[in-house]
Amino acid sequence: MIVLELKNVNKVYNSSEVKVHAVNDVTLNFTEAEFVAIVGPSGSGKTTLLNLIGGLDMPTSGEIKIGGTDLSSLKPSQLIDFRLRNIGFVFQSYNLIPVLTAKENVEFIMTLQKWPEKERDERTMELLNAVGLGDRINSRPARLSGGQQQRVAVARALASRPKFVLADEPTANLDSKSATTLLEIMEKLNHEEKITFIFSTHDPRVVKMAHRVITLEDGRVVSDDVRELPS
Amino acid sequence: MLWSVAWKNVWRNKKRSIVVIVAVTFGIISGVLLVGIMEGWVRQRLNDAINNEVSHIQIHNTAYLRNEEIDLSIDNPDQILKSIDTLRQLKGWVRRTKIIAMANTPWANTGIIIYGINPDDERKISDIPGKIVAGGGEYIGSQNQGSILISDKTAELLKLKQYILTDTLISELRALSFPDHVLNKLETFKDKRFRSPKDFKAALRKELVRKELDRYGQVIMDKALDYRIRNKIQITISDLQGDPVQGIFRVCGIYKTTNTGFDQVSAFVNAPDLAALYGGGEILTHEIAIMLNDIGDADAVGEELGRIAGGNTVSTWKALAPDAAMMNDFMIIYYFIFVGIIMLALAFGIINTMLMAVLERTKELGMLMAIGMNRRRVFSMIMLETIFLTIVGAVSGMGMGWGIASVLGKTGIHFTGWGEGFEAIGFSSVVYPVVTPGFIIFTAAMVIVTAIISSVWPARKALKLNPVEALRTD
Repeated sequence: MIVLELKNVNKVYNSSEVKVHAVNDVTLNFTEAEFVAIVGPSGSGKTTLLNLIGGLDMPTSGEIKIGGTDLSSLKPSQLIDFRLRNIGFVFQSYNLIPVLTAKENVEFIMTLQKWPEKERDERTMELLNAVGLGDRINSRPARLSGGQQQRVAVARALASRPKFVLADEPTANLDSKSATTLLEIMEKLNHEEKITFIFSTHDPRVVKMAHRVITLEDGRVVSDDVRELPS
Repeated sequence: MLWSVAWKNVWRNKKRSIVVIVAVTFGIISGVLLVGIMEGWVRQRLNDAINNEVSHIQIHNTAYLRNEEIDLSIDNPDQILKSIDTLRQLKGWVRRTKIIAMANTPWANTGIIIYGINPDDERKISDIPGKIVAGGGEYIGSQNQGSILISDKTAELLKLKQYILTDTLISELRALSFPDHVLNKLETFKDKRFRSPKDFKAALRKELVRKELDRYGQVIMDKALDYRIRNKIQITISDLQGDPVQGIFRVCGIYKTTNTGFDQVSAFVNAPDLAALYGGGEILTHEIAIMLNDIGDADAVGEELGRIAGGNTVSTWKALAPDAAMMNDFMIIYYFIFVGIIMLALAFGIINTMLMAVLERTKELGMLMAIGMNRRRVFSMIMLETIFLTIVGAVSGMGMGWGIASVLGKTGIHFTGWGEGFEAIGFSSVVYPVVTPGFIIFTAAMVIVTAIISSVWPARKALKLNPVEALRTD
């Protein structure tokens, strides 16, 4: 089932002196439960593409549909609500709310969606156990390591069962061991929750684990390889 | 959860939040105290004006108000008093003869208004019987023929107030642990009579150094003060034919209110004694003063009496003591001005702090917007943080302000050094701050309004953030 469609998507930044074609005529489809890495050199348009897919930025031309809904048809307020219900975000620098505990951070999105307390608690505990932090639910981000914080961020992104999760360089700030643990957890959750993960990354470990690798250069898709991974 | 996040965000930068809370607390304390002092002064002035000077309502012959001639008394006062007696709001009334007079002693003279009164009736509605100063004799009695009650100020003007340092007094001062070097200096003007506080103070200033004067001056002044009770005063008035007549009265007592202006001109004698002086065999009534159980009824009762008063004028306390009435009416404006200025200062502090808080959390706010926190919620969160921050300071400020004002309301704040100035305009030099529940509610409402208004700018700043750009900041 297609969860995300991009059709002839362009993003052009016009400054006074130069015109930058950050994303150039990109057409892609993503289906349920994919584990996709978007790679490419710095400045190739990875982050811009992720921002467009996440509805944080609007394309200059082209069409982006999530679950059949064209993002350009939504008003700004509807777009925020749409993001809340359909897209999970994992950021490079974790971006947890520092005044909340691990549990409260994961619960946050469900609270915004007004989930009943019981369901919210169950889902939070299920995800924190899944990321291996069932014993740290009351710790604030400052008391967690970088890897643990990023695991909380993954649990938060998955909390409301989005259509897909966008992860922008999620392992960039982690040591090798933490990065590997995180990727294993993400792959496991991808498999169990049937939620699509789309990474923008330079990390060869992510590329190695990805089922599909899309390579960007100068804003264009230069390759889109689907791989059969050993089970 | 938004409330919980906002509350936790307040304590994210504890030091900064505490600085703002302390600033709000002190702002509110000073506001509560300033307004409490103001309210205390206004109430004291109002109470003194009513209880010592004008009562709630007065009736005069209309012509007398224009020209205070002895023959312009109220016609048929008994009939009016009969109607007054039927008022259900009535606490009491008095009738007074009121004549402009000249008072003389062998050493000085001064113009006064002499009131012919029934002392027993006066006790029911006036506080003056309770204002007799220490060592100042006693209130006039209805049986004390030829007695006169004058004020401390009149005594000073007529040189009936003197300062003498006697041997006994110096011994008393020694018993109070006054140092010998001070007592030795006082020996230089032992038994010398000073007829005014000014002269005595000047003499003390000459002998004592500044530090000694500050520490012992007031006690020496109080102890050395001696009123010449039972001294004679000659009173000159016009009789009913307009001819000057004189009578001799003996000082029975000295009173002192908080209004030197009133004290300076008001002296009291028994009405029959005054009637004997102006002749005609009848006690004239120039003024009927009425006290009600509730000041709030004054206007309505005044109107009612106006209908039966004939050619007389009925005046309520608002017309009789316009200064007190004006201050009373203006209190609400004072509230707005004082509290408004304080809130304005607080608003700038709060805005500055919250703008810093928003600026510091640009990335986090960008993240919150990215993951789906809508603008209304972001706005509400910043607004709640501002309100919490302000309310914590406001609650502690109002609590502490109310506590301090309550203590000072019992002990009073003594502005002794400025006493003469205050009393010249009718204010006591000791003020008892009054903080009413109405003021606390008003201040609380103003604080909430200030917090809401102050939050708009930082909250709008947060709303203007672009999530993509905000997420890129370090």
